[in-house]
Amino acid sequence: MISRRNFITTIATGVAATALLSACGKSGSEAGGGTAENPTVVNYTWWGNDDRAERTNKAIALFNEKNPTIKVVGTFSDWAGYWQKRATEAAGGGLPDVMQWDLSYLRDYAQRNQLLDLSEAGIDLSGFEKTLLPSGKVNDKQFGIPTSTNAFAVYYDPAKLKEIGVAEPTGKWTYAEYQQFLTDAGTKSNGKYYGSTDFTGIWWQFNIWLRQNKITDFTPEGKLGFAKADLAKWWNLNADLRGTPAIIPSDKITQLLPKSPFGSNKTVSEPTWDNFMAGYIGDSGVAELKMVAVPSDDPENLGLFLKPSMLMVASAKTKNKDASTKFIDFMVNSPEVGEIFKTSRGVPASKQQREGTTFEGVDAQVVAYEESIADYLSDAPEPPIVGFGTLESEFLRIQEELNYGKVTVDQAVDQWFTSAEDVIKQNA
Amino acid sequence: MTQTSAPARRAKSGPPLRNEKSKQRRAEARTGYAFLLPWLLGFIVLTAGPMISSLYLSFTNYNLFEAPKWIGFDNYANLFQDDRFIQSVKVTLTYVVFGTPTKLLAALAIAMLLNSKRRGQGFYRSAFYVPSLIGASVSIAIVWKAMFGDAGPVDQILSFFGIGIGGWVGNPNMTMPMMILLTVWQFGAPMIIFLAGLKQVPAELYEAAEMDGAGWAKKFTSITLPMLSPVIFFNLLMETIHAFQIFASAFIISNGSGGPAGSTMFYTLYLYLRGFGDFRMGYASAMAWLLLIAIGIITLIFFKTSNNWVHYSGDEK
Amino acid sequence: MTTTALKTKTTAPETSIDRDPKSRTILGRSLKSLLFHGVSLALIVVVMYPAVWMVASSFKPSSEIVGNAAIWSSNFSFDNFVKAMDGIGGVSTLQFFGNSLFLAVGSVIGVVLSSTVTAYAFTRINFPGRQLFFTLMIVTLLLPFHVVIIPQYIIFQQLGLVDTYVPLLLGKFLGAEAFFVFLMVQFMRNLPRELDEAARIDGAGHVRIFVSIMLPLMKPSIITASIFSFIWSWNDFLGPLLYLNSPDKYPLPLALRLFVDQTQSSDYGAMIAMSVLALLPVLLFFLIFQRHIVEGVSTQGLKG
Repeated sequence: MISRRNFITTIATGVAATALLSACGKSGSEAGGGTAENPTVVNYTWWGNDDRAERTNKAIALFNEKNPTIKVVGTFSDWAGYWQKRATEAAGGGLPDVMQWDLSYLRDYAQRNQLLDLSEAGIDLSGFEKTLLPSGKVNDKQFGIPTSTNAFAVYYDPAKLKEIGVAEPTGKWTYAEYQQFLTDAGTKSNGKYYGSTDFTGIWWQFNIWLRQNKITDFTPEGKLGFAKADLAKWWNLNADLRGTPAIIPSDKITQLLPKSPFGSNKTVSEPTWDNFMAGYIGDSGVAELKMVAVPSDDPENLGLFLKPSMLMVASAKTKNKDASTKFIDFMVNSPEVGEIFKTSRGVPASKQQREGTTFEGVDAQVVAYEESIADYLSDAPEPPIVGFGTLESEFLRIQEELNYGKVTVDQAVDQWFTSAEDVIKQNA
Repeated sequence: MTQTSAPARRAKSGPPLRNEKSKQRRAEARTGYAFLLPWLLGFIVLTAGPMISSLYLSFTNYNLFEAPKWIGFDNYANLFQDDRFIQSVKVTLTYVVFGTPTKLLAALAIAMLLNSKRRGQGFYRSAFYVPSLIGASVSIAIVWKAMFGDAGPVDQILSFFGIGIGGWVGNPNMTMPMMILLTVWQFGAPMIIFLAGLKQVPAELYEAAEMDGAGWAKKFTSITLPMLSPVIFFNLLMETIHAFQIFASAFIISNGSGGPAGSTMFYTLYLYLRGFGDFRMGYASAMAWLLLIAIGIITLIFFKTSNNWVHYSGDEK
Repeated sequence: MTTTALKTKTTAPETSIDRDPKSRTILGRSLKSLLFHGVSLALIVVVMYPAVWMVASSFKPSSEIVGNAAIWSSNFSFDNFVKAMDGIGGVSTLQFFGNSLFLAVGSVIGVVLSSTVTAYAFTRINFPGRQLFFTLMIVTLLLPFHVVIIPQYIIFQQLGLVDTYVPLLLGKFLGAEAFFVFLMVQFMRNLPRELDEAARIDGAGHVRIFVSIMLPLMKPSIITASIFSFIWSWNDFLGPLLYLNSPDKYPLPLALRLFVDQTQSSDYGAMIAMSVLALLPVLLFFLIFQRHIVEGVSTQGLKG
């Protein structure tokens, strides 16, 4: 006989299921101690692809093995999901203990008191270049420690150049020579390859160009340091090249996403960060790629700099400060970690780690490139303004519309300035 | 129809029983609310409460970190100066205005084809329904992107017929036709509803019309369409509301960017990017309320005009 | 005159225009039949092409997928599936399946429990405010989901429930999917009241009537609701996209997106194979419950 009790059981099952679900949701509670049986748990999170996940897990395992009283637990996600998750965690007051970080977001979180000041945390900073450390500083506090550096470069595929009969660039070139090179590559290959993607769509190359012309990107007050005319001049630089074989049209790029045109063997060159070498080789399957410095109309001022390709930060609210900083120290300074990552994060920033790592093949190329430009380096960029991530993606998006011919340069400049001013106002 | 026993009981109830009755009624009400409780909770916590707070948020600047800052109508005012917002409205309206009628026409045409007692009718009906089942999934979005890409199967087939237009995915002028084809492909669900509606049309009506010498077109306009109008109304309303909310396919096909050149920047995608990409929660809430108002107005127009063209037969509630 | 036809539901007599006197001749009939099957089959080819192309591609090497309109290949193999099963970043595809299954089954349980209980309140119990709440429920049917996602997100985020399954399932347990409540109400209204009236006279309370009389009678609509809530949960993308951040909690649609992002689309074969795997349960469901699904759509249509 079915009775009220049965009904209540049914409802109770439902309630229990809900309770169970919320129990599933709660993350494992943390142990305060720190013994081998009951180790201190340090939560670490990073973004990246499969390859980085594998390397990071190796590094974590090594750390846990060496430090039996600490247990680092890692999670990861892709780039877009990563920042969404950090924002919600920060708003809810629960960032993970240690995090891989990007320069673009350092100021946002440091100014909102979400990150731990690592200046006095006992991390060995002796092996870092003095010009690099300010990249991790906000208001004179060291919130982020660079793991590694990358520098901007122009990649090219020597085999394709040989195939179409274009000479390899030397890296000592002006913008006009660079554009001639792209035009040659595009026309001589008879439609097989394009020269490159439109380099004026890349924020960081614009940044370098500004440096070459001694213009600042952002003022210390967090305002724009350049004028509409500067941006218009930059976007006009390639006005004659768009729609010619020198530059791959945007519709082709869109079809190839998320792979890049260069990685898909559609262009002979591409300007980007030097630590993308292994990724490009993997994507394109070619035997060899080379890098040279970006063009500059002033041969003495290449505008190049070493940027921290990523940083390590800790949560301001971490309960395990010592264990967390120990892990950060390990990740940035240990030669064994260097051996695991090689140049996949960029060239190790700390001297101990760099010199303790053997670089071969592609990795040696990346290190050699950074050494070759050493004489031209200017200071590393300071953490950009709050909301920079939006500005950077808007830059790319609006330039894409320009490439599709949907807007004129002046309209594009107006659009970007409108959204930039909006972002600056929002975060003032 | 069910009051058979109630009046009988009521007849017996004299003044002394009044109290007893109201007690009973209160007990009944308590049970009613007990049964309704889960839904009521859900309604308050997940629907009504959030709606009110999103209305409030739409007048603020809120980024999850700091407390919401009241800014009046700024969000709404800014929306109309935001190129991307205007683009998203255009994209969505184009999709709704062209996609929905095309899809319903296909559904109606095929439903009429299938409306017979022939063998295999059930099989065809099921087969045509499959796209509706899977069409909104991430898997199909991936496949769609592959099929309409440069030198993809669609491009190849078209080139074979001499209409080589290259890849659709990267061409801002072709992404909308591609998205519309994706929704038209899912004509199965409204088709099944049409089919059920067609089956309700009494055969005698057609027979009578034939006696009067009515041709195919005459039968269609004077019998099928009017008899089917409630179903057409239902399909049109549901599919329109649905079309406004397209998200997953656009997200996957454009890698979450609404590109190329903003051609797949659907309203909901822009709302998502603003809210959960830039954490402009107030701005996104204003967008959500505008969408609600727009859908409300459209629904109202549908219902108001329905008197003119929807023919309910008899005592249909 | 046509009220009877409209009132009788799916069981309506299959009146058809096929009794067209002109087609009564054998020749005319078979010609018409030929035309019917010809057109239908041609349409099937067009409609099914994307699905067939997808399934065929999942067995082809990556190099043969893009730029190949043909279905057949001499290089069919299971390699793509083997690779797809490896998963992403240390999370196996089996786990993504498990997550999807957990969410789908949870949704079914939640939807069935909450929608039947709510429908019973709306159809069989008299309480003040019933009409008002019913109207509100109907209004939520037309409400775009987007108007509530931001506050809902903020609530769950304040409660620390982001990156858990609670935000994805709670609504199902609380009848927030008004469509299913409506489905149950419509069905329950058509159940004869004499049954519960009789039980009432025998002294049975609402709880007992609901459990022992209504629920068994509701079986057809419970099956329909289960099938649809399962499929919708299985295909849901926006909910998991908003609330889940850790790959080990991802259901298949999110895992697929991650896969597209991370393998940089270099492995087209595995990507398509994973897409096929993700659709497999839905298609199996359809094969098994075909009749229920088609009927569900047509009745929902007529009554909705």
